[in-house]
Formats: sequence, C-alpha cells, structure tokens
Amino acid sequence: MFLDKFESGFLNFNRWLLIIMLAVMSVIIFANVTLRYTTSQSIEWAEEVARHLMIWLTFIGCGPVLRYGGHIAIDNLQDAMPVKLAQFLRIVIAILITAFCIFCIWTGLDYMDRTQYQTTPSTQISMAWIYAALPIGMGMTLIHWLLIVRRYVLRREFASDAHFDATASASL
Amino acid sequence: MSPSVILLLSVCVYLAIGVPVAFALGLSTVTALLVSGSFPMLVLLKETFTGIDSFPLMAVPFFILAAELMSGGSLTEVLLKFAGQFVGHKRGGLGYTNVVALTFFSGISGSALADAAGPGSMMIKMMDKAGYDRSYAAALTASTAIVGPIIPPSIIMIIYALADDNVSVGALFVAGLIPGLLIAVAMCVVNWYISKKRNYKGDGQMPSGPEIIKTTWQALPAILLPVLILGGMRAGWFTPTEASVVAVFYALICGKFIYRTLEWKAVPDILSRSALLTASVLLIIGMSASFAWILTIEGVPQTMANWISSIHLNAWTFLIVINVFLLLFGIFIEPLPGVMVLVPILAPVAAKIGVDPIHFAMVVIFNLTLGMITPPVGGLLFVTSNVSKVPLSELTRELKPFLIAHGVVLVALTFVPALSNWLPHVMGFK
Repeated sequence: MFLDKFESGFLNFNRWLLIIMLAVMSVIIFANVTLRYTTSQSIEWAEEVARHLMIWLTFIGCGPVLRYGGHIAIDNLQDAMPVKLAQFLRIVIAILITAFCIFCIWTGLDYMDRTQYQTTPSTQISMAWIYAALPIGMGMTLIHWLLIVRRYVLRREFASDAHFDATASASL
Repeated sequence: MSPSVILLLSVCVYLAIGVPVAFALGLSTVTALLVSGSFPMLVLLKETFTGIDSFPLMAVPFFILAAELMSGGSLTEVLLKFAGQFVGHKRGGLGYTNVVALTFFSGISGSALADAAGPGSMMIKMMDKAGYDRSYAAALTASTAIVGPIIPPSIIMIIYALADDNVSVGALFVAGLIPGLLIAVAMCVVNWYISKKRNYKGDGQMPSGPEIIKTTWQALPAILLPVLILGGMRAGWFTPTEASVVAVFYALICGKFIYRTLEWKAVPDILSRSALLTASVLLIIGMSASFAWILTIEGVPQTMANWISSIHLNAWTFLIVINVFLLLFGIFIEPLPGVMVLVPILAPVAAKIGVDPIHFAMVVIFNLTLGMITPPVGGLLFVTSNVSKVPLSELTRELKPFLIAHGVVLVALTFVPALSNWLPHVMGFK
C-alpha cells in the first residue's frame, strides 16, 4: 500500500520534472531567436542553460524510459530459449543494470567533488550542479528499476503507460 | 588484450543476451576500463557528458516535440484528404493516398515512427474498411514510413552530421529530398502492381475544382513547414536547432489557432512523451560517445582505414562491401546506435577512398533505416504491427515486394551519387 503510493507519487514527480525542463528549454531558445530578430539582442545565457537542461532531461528521463521498456534491446536470443534459461539471463541483466547504476552514482559523486570549484562560463554556477544530473538521475533510475525488476525477470514485463508507446523509441 | 578488443567483445555479449542498447554500450565501456586499467574510470562519465552537451543536438528534442504537437490534432485528417484528392479515384487509390500522405507527413516529422503511428495507422483502418487486405495495408505503411527519416527534417541526419564533420545538417536535409521521393515512387509502383493483381478498387470520383482548392488551402500550413525549415536554414535566418524550435512554436500555433484541435490540457502529455523519447535517444548518444572515445583513442578508425586502403578497394567495391555489411548489421541494430558507432569509423575511410561524403551519408542512412523493416528485428515492424493489430508473421509475408523495391532504390542510390549530392550542391549547401 505504502509502496504503491510512493510509486505513483515518485512517478508523478519525475514526469513533471521532465515536462517542465522540456518546456523551459523550448521557451528559452525560442525567446532567444525571437529577440535576436526583434530587438537584435540575444540572451547570453540561453544556450548554456538549455544545454544543461538537456543533460538533466536525459538522465532524469532514463528511469521512466527503463520502467516502460523504452530502452531498445535485442530479445531474439531470450525468445528462442526455454523459459527458465531466459529467466536466468534476465537475472544476469538485472544485476548488470543495477551494477551500472551504482557505478554511475559512485563515479558521479566523485566527479562532482572534483569539479565543484569550476564554474559554468556564463551563469557562473558550480559545474557540480551540472554533473549532479548523473548520480541523481541514475539513483532515480535505480529506484524505478527495483520497482519493476521482479516482473521483468519473471515475464519480461514492463510497466505500461497510456501516453508512451515503448516500441516507439526504437523507430526514431 | 587491448581495451578496444574487450570493448567490442563485451558489447556483443551484452547485446546478444538482451541488455538494452544504451546500457550495453555503457557497460562495455566500464568493462573495458576495468579490465584493461589503462584509462581512468571517469572517462565514461566525462565523454558521456561531452556527447550530450551539444547545442546542435538540441534539434532532436525540438523536432520530436514539433511532430508530436502537429500530429495530435486534425492535421492528419487534413493531410489524408489532401493526398487523396489527387490519387484516390485511381485503382488502388487508397494505397497511393497512404504513400502520398506519409511522404508529406515526413516533411513534418523527423522519424519513421511518427509516420507509421500517426497517419499510417489511420490509413490502415481506412484501407481495411475499403476492402484491402489489412496485412497488405500494414506492410505498405511500414515500408513507406521509412521516408520519415529520409525526407527532412530527420533526427538521424542531425546525429549523422554530429558524427561526421564533413557534412552539415542542412546539406543532408536537402540531400534526402530526391531519395525520399524515389522511395515514394517505388512504393507506388508496388501498390500499382499488387492492386492490379488483387483488383483493389479506387473510391469514386475525382473531387471538383473548388473542393481541391479548399482542401489544399487547409493543408497549406502543414506543407509549408518543411519549406520554412529548409528555406530558413538556407537563407541563414537560423541554425538547424533554431529552425527546430521555430517548428515547435509553428506547430503549437497551427494546432491551437489554425486547426484548433490542440487543447492546452493535452500539452503536458505531449511534452512528457517527447521528453521520454528524447531521453531514450540522448542516452544512447551519450553512451556511444564514451564507447567511440575508446575506439578512437586506440586508433581503430585509422587502423581500419589503413587496412582498407592496403587492399586497394576502389570506391565502388567499397560501397558494395559497405552495403552488404550494413544490411546485415541493420537487421539487428537500429539506425541510431548504428550511426553513432559506425560513422566515426567508416566515414573517414570512405572519404579517404574518394566517396563523396553526402553520397556516403545517404547510403548509410537509407541502409540502416531499411533495417527497421527487415525481419526479425525491426522497430518499425513492431510499431506497425502494434497499431494495426496485424500479427508480425502476416505483416512479414506481405513485405517481400516492398523489400525488392527498396533494394532497387538502394542500388540506384549507391551507384548514382548525383541522386544524393546534386541537389545540395545546386542549392549551395556544403
């Protein structure tokens, strides 16, 4: 019960973060183009802020994409195998993905530590804020992953979403 | 073992057992770093960030968003009506309508997915109702949808231009126009042949003059979008990224005030879906950046280039070898990771042998895109099968004539460079 509540709240939080970041990116860059033509001035921090938002968007989006099965994979070998063996392979995959998330969190924190005194060129904030996208995003990915990993291992089942077709990301 | 050998071996193992591509690329980089110990662990992180931290790359999320905004409303219906008025009354008319509508829609969307899932799925339903075999309609849609990434705008071309310094996004966009139309013509030829064989009927009369003018007027805002993008880039009004954000707001205004079908409350869903698609794409790009970094630092591209020049392949034999290799590779690998991993290795080799970079880019892009409809692993087949509820096996059975037609176009593109590079040169793109 508590877990269900946590899961939907967490997902909602993650979703709105993504929505706001993409909306802000679009508005900043569009405003910059418009201003250049109307007042022949441009917002000097626009490009930098949008780029850094895009980095954050990538890592914050990683978790939900994993959750819905939107990270493309080649499943042919698993399909050709007996169920037990395929489940065993998926346990290996589950361990690999978990290990990768932990590796990213660990090196990410280390890198934040090393870059905290560097600042971004135009906004003058610490680079650690940019690199924090990796440990935070992969930490959130890990939570998403642990929430669905049981179903994944047993039946290669992902969570579904009315608005996001997982096969979609394969055909871009 | 050298790091690049570990890298390549481990990525094959990870991909084969079914690790998602983005994670397989990242994991193999970590494996190579751990086992060889020749580079610091931070390489993964640093190169991944460098890979994503790029302003030109931002055109990807914006073009995704623009297509999502455009396809939400009644624009799809307007385009179908527009396409139908020219070809609908002929034998196999709805088949032609499908091809023409998807071709126009490609001028709005940057991906095959948007074509197949939007107007494609609608056309399949209409064709089914009009007496066409549903599996044929689905096969036609899947085969035609690959014009999506060939006709500008195109997400895969943006990424190709980032991977190869010798070509620009603008040049690739323009280069895709003729090949895209060629594909559409080839699909029409297949439709003509099958419709004759199975006697698919056309639907009624050609519409009257005033009606044609009215439909065209309605479809105009959608048709003008690619003109605005290409024209604006050529005139130097904006960079590809700026063009993509202009497309976003153009789509917003069209949907909200011209077609009036876009509701504000639908916008958060559109944004979140676009953000998720963006994340899945950019994660692969970031991870392949660190993957490719190891290959580059180890000199793999140069070694390959030297090896290929030592066996004295001429440009044509090289292109044939590349085609066979890419077709096999494309069966299992989707275009995006394919471009990210192969282009940094192959493009310098092609340039050294004397293949025109734009010509080479078109061959690679079309070839890898074809991989999306070659069974058994084809993202586009899965999407089409999903939206049409046609089982994969039936869809695959109907694909044969279409694959032959695509093969003919591929041969033409390979041996006639002018099909790809004449238009960009004439229009002054580099």
